[in-house]
Amino acid sequence: MIYEMLDYPFMQRAFIAGLMIAILASLSGSFIVLRRYSLLSETLAHVSLVGVSVGLLLGMSPLWMAVLASLAASWMIEYLRSVHGMYSDSVLAIFLSGSLALAIVIVSMAGSFNASLFSYLFGSILSVSTEDLWVMGIFGSLAMVLLLAFFKELYFIAFDEDVARAGGIRVTLLNFMLVSVIAVIIALSIRVVGTLLIGALMVIPPVAAIRFGMGFYPTTLLSIAIALISVVIGLSASYLFSLPSGAAIVLCLLIIFIIALLVNRR
Amino acid sequence: MKFSPSLFEVNGLNFERQGNLVLKGATFRILPGEYCAIIGPNGGGKTTLVRLLLGLEKATSGEIKLFGVPQKRFRDWNRIGYVPQRSALVDSTFPATVREVVAMGRYARRGILGFESAEDKESILEAMELMGVADLSDRLIGNLSGGQRQRVMIARALASKPDVLIVDEPNTGVDVESQHRFYELLRILNRTKKMSILFITHDIGVIAEDITRVLFVNQTLLVSQNPAEMTRCDEMSRLYGTPAHVVSHNH
Repeated sequence: MIYEMLDYPFMQRAFIAGLMIAILASLSGSFIVLRRYSLLSETLAHVSLVGVSVGLLLGMSPLWMAVLASLAASWMIEYLRSVHGMYSDSVLAIFLSGSLALAIVIVSMAGSFNASLFSYLFGSILSVSTEDLWVMGIFGSLAMVLLLAFFKELYFIAFDEDVARAGGIRVTLLNFMLVSVIAVIIALSIRVVGTLLIGALMVIPPVAAIRFGMGFYPTTLLSIAIALISVVIGLSASYLFSLPSGAAIVLCLLIIFIIALLVNRR
Repeated sequence: MKFSPSLFEVNGLNFERQGNLVLKGATFRILPGEYCAIIGPNGGGKTTLVRLLLGLEKATSGEIKLFGVPQKRFRDWNRIGYVPQRSALVDSTFPATVREVVAMGRYARRGILGFESAEDKESILEAMELMGVADLSDRLIGNLSGGQRQRVMIARALASKPDVLIVDEPNTGVDVESQHRFYELLRILNRTKKMSILFITHDIGVIAEDITRVLFVNQTLLVSQNPAEMTRCDEMSRLYGTPAHVVSHNH
């Protein structure tokens, strides 16, 4: 059954994209969870939807438009938070509801691409094209290099931003870098997981891994493993039972999270 | 003769927050090897002064030099160890072992993609042993007592091998025995290791015998190189504007 599934080129593409996204989302997700900034992924996912809507309306690449919209919003959010000192959750709430409102208006203006939009909302294993894989490969590699290059600094900032800054670490620059990387990862993820569900792939693996009470490095590795397992099982379930891939992946994540809760009742 | 610049040289420093004057015309120098206590009433600007020195706040006007270099051009931040206020109050679920936290003190020295060198490993171990937390190496920081966490935070600051240690009221949530161990440690660092210390405290009586300089901060700054006189009860009462009792402890 598994070999048969992997014979199909669309499933091969879905698996390559899914595994790539699983690693990137869970790795970057660790930092936003520890900084109590989990809503960032949800907000940028909604902003990506605006990009997708604009792309579909204007006949441009929805993926590229999602990347642009998500990047622009991430910079504005970080600017308002760090320079203007606005509360993170308030800024995120404004962008989340604002972008959803804008996406709904654009969708209702066009009216004719609802079926296509559905796959962007909840993910579809049929929708990953070879071109999408190239875009994911290039931007995903860049995001991975940046996350690994500044991994220890991002960890320090998550633990104690003031002491990291006092120690000479360029906190403002790295904060902008992190939100940019997350924005790109979210925009790239929408083909496989969908805009409404990508937040779960970023947040649930680190939250479940933290329950096991280990240091940061083993926690991060476990988080990546949880994301990879969920993507493999979720995509397989999506193929076997004709389910939206994003929903299947998130349900797997939830099951693992519940197991982590039951095993580590602290 | 080798010229040894001041660790900190501050001239006419002013700081306003949302239109309110927090610090006015602060001018002082801290020399190598000094043990300086920063005292003053709550809200007087002690923590703000330290944050200005560390570049965590931007001065409205005035000049700060660190190790003889203007703050804007200063890059050797690992020469300054910093233990902030309430640093012992960490999130109990944060996934960080004692060793991981202490290792953070070396991050600024390692650079991008820099792996832990033998020197890094040695400094981390040395700092943990000095603070008596080496046997807690693999324990999660959130599972430690307040006193143990405090020692871990100081070990992190010491891991970078700083020339000066800045400690901001570190005894919040820490038991009395740990507090005494902490004061003793600062004394050893200053006298034996020749490390300069800037210590924000309300408990000046405990360290009265050790300090070489007192900065009294209450919007304006009063500098005294005669701590014994400064810590007299009548002088403290005059400065705080309320009856003050200085309790001295024997080491």
